[in-house]
Amino acid sequence: MSLKLTRTLRMAVLALCLPLLAGLLSGCTGDSEKETIRFTFSKREAIGFMTKLVADYNASQDRTEVVLDTSGVDVVSASFVRGNPPDIALANYNMETARFVQRGALSDLSGTQASTRIRKDLQPLMDQYGSYPDRTSALPYSIMASSVIYNKEIFAAHGVEVPKTWAELLAACEALKAAGVTPFYATWKDDWTVAQGWFDYSVGGEVDTIDFFEKIAEAGTEVGPDSPASFQQDFEQPVEKMLKLAGTYVNKDAASRGYGDGNLAFAQGKAAMYLQGPWAFSEIAKTAPDLQLGTFPLPMTENPDDLKVRANVDLAAWIPEDSKHKDAARDFLEYLYQPEIIEGYNKSQLGFTPTVEAEAAPDPRIEGMVEYYEKGRVYQGPSVLVPRTIPIMNYTQALVLGADPAATFRTLDADWARLAFRQ
Amino acid sequence: MSITTTTRRGQGRPESRRRRRVEPVFYFFLLPSLVLFTLAITVPGLVGIFFSFTDSIGIGDWKFAGLTNYIAIASDPAILQSYLFTFGFSIVTVLVVNVVAFLLAVGLTSQIRMKSALRTIFVIPMVVSGIIIAYVFNFLFSNSLPSAGAAAGISWLETSLLANPDLAWVAIVVVTAWQAVPGALLIYIAGLVSIPGDVYEAAEIDGASKAQQLLKITAPLVAGYVVINIILGFKGFLNAYDIIVGLTNGGPGTSTRSIAMTVIAGFNGGDYAYQMANATIFFIVAVLISLLQLSLTRGRNTL
Repeated sequence: MSLKLTRTLRMAVLALCLPLLAGLLSGCTGDSEKETIRFTFSKREAIGFMTKLVADYNASQDRTEVVLDTSGVDVVSASFVRGNPPDIALANYNMETARFVQRGALSDLSGTQASTRIRKDLQPLMDQYGSYPDRTSALPYSIMASSVIYNKEIFAAHGVEVPKTWAELLAACEALKAAGVTPFYATWKDDWTVAQGWFDYSVGGEVDTIDFFEKIAEAGTEVGPDSPASFQQDFEQPVEKMLKLAGTYVNKDAASRGYGDGNLAFAQGKAAMYLQGPWAFSEIAKTAPDLQLGTFPLPMTENPDDLKVRANVDLAAWIPEDSKHKDAARDFLEYLYQPEIIEGYNKSQLGFTPTVEAEAAPDPRIEGMVEYYEKGRVYQGPSVLVPRTIPIMNYTQALVLGADPAATFRTLDADWARLAFRQ
Repeated sequence: MSITTTTRRGQGRPESRRRRRVEPVFYFFLLPSLVLFTLAITVPGLVGIFFSFTDSIGIGDWKFAGLTNYIAIASDPAILQSYLFTFGFSIVTVLVVNVVAFLLAVGLTSQIRMKSALRTIFVIPMVVSGIIIAYVFNFLFSNSLPSAGAAAGISWLETSLLANPDLAWVAIVVVTAWQAVPGALLIYIAGLVSIPGDVYEAAEIDGASKAQQLLKITAPLVAGYVVINIILGFKGFLNAYDIIVGLTNGGPGTSTRSIAMTVIAGFNGGDYAYQMANATIFFIVAVLISLLQLSLTRGRNTL
């Protein structure tokens, strides 16, 4: 019987191995012809554009086959943990990417031709998230400026001017409300829309975010009511103003509306203002391609000189240290940074191109922000500067739904101190 | 062939069953699942526990941090709240599911019309994926229910249940129960069918009412199935994830974040070591609960 068993076993092992072997062999033949690299890109508004670009690149040469992976941010973070990161990525540059940078998981790009053409004055936007010694870990690809989106037709119909101060903003809201127009369309069901729009515009319009985050990074475990800076001390005033707008001038069903609902409703002219970034324009255009829209910074003080727009590195390019196809990935990176491609991309997405030779070619919808962007009157949104392990988006959502600001910021201070304690 | 005949012969004779020697082939049958279990569950589990004592974010450089993560967890309101929420939610859901499933099972085993058609209808939710159920209910709660409330003039219904930090958990219980009732229902039907009819006949002759029969005969005779349903259900609800993600994504605010969600948030959000420490604590808690359940049910009504 034992003989029979071993024979069965041998058969089973053989049967298991055959397909594996076949897979290996076919894999080999594929590799010798074209090197395949996995390119991660998950900005859903631009997937169509990028799919075409990748197809063009694959057709233009026969060394590399680029495979577009659109599976999303969370999957990318997890792929690093599993030791199987993408070969190249164009991704939102935020606290999470910064952690890959700080731990040295991204390779040095300083030798690339593309890196020599990046505008030097944009470096603070990248450095604010930290860096790894002697490495250029990521290159900015698309800068997004965002501020209040407004419906020019509604503003004109009710004789409302673009507000430059907090008092003018309140007056504009009152005028619209009196005319039966909802001033703001809010989508509180999706917590990120609260964080990036309502919270960031309010706080960024009043607080110097670079200075604030430097101070609390230094205070570390000491962050609290007695430290040089803290969420409790610095954020409560702008958030009170945010809550005044949120409590009085939004659509009644804000709590059960999401991002998709908001784009549709705003395209249908159901409100005059919308706190979203330029990525929403292409979504709104699906419903109302000819709607006259504009942008202006949310005024939070009585001084028009304080006006600033929120800017962030919407896309940055990076190549993981663990990639097995770094050279092929760098070739593709240079292709992505060719002037007509990078400028074409940013034009299509209403972003700003971070290369030296690029000229601002403003779309009328983002014209209202060009002035501030060029003078450098920009701030990075506070919600993206808080590590994601602190559920800042949930906190801001809780605020607009009625949570006590003082208690929320006490929790936020404690979260910050706890994070500093264990890292 | 020789193997099967030996086994069959062995089963036929009681004295051979008492023999100590086990056919080696049974160990061979065990091997695949043992290998898979070790590779897919035990090894990653041990790796995770190891990393809970470091400051790793899952990638790149890391160093040992001792018990730092565990100390930080002890004072983290987000994690403590997720434990409170998960346990509260599990207890309530287990109660709701078992009461509803038991009553339905009693109805579906009595002499009613269209019994098999009704049974089929009640079992359908079990075969639909949780995330799909969650998105459908999300739409119902966010759009249909508020507009129904507005039409009927009920003001508290006009805002979505999911947007209310104090009541969102009710919506989660309702949806989870909707999906979990069929499983429990099938087990209860099996239990009710196995009760012999003459017990009821005897009760009938002694003059017991239907309510008395339910409480004094049916309930005690399916007690074993109640225990199974509670253990299986509680275990499942402690791991609640997909339905919550689809319904509230932990919101509004942080009011409906389950333990599984906080752990996965750490995995995705670059907070690997910290959430591994959380997962380790959760593992120990789950083991303690299992031991408690085992000791409570030992010796009686095991299947």
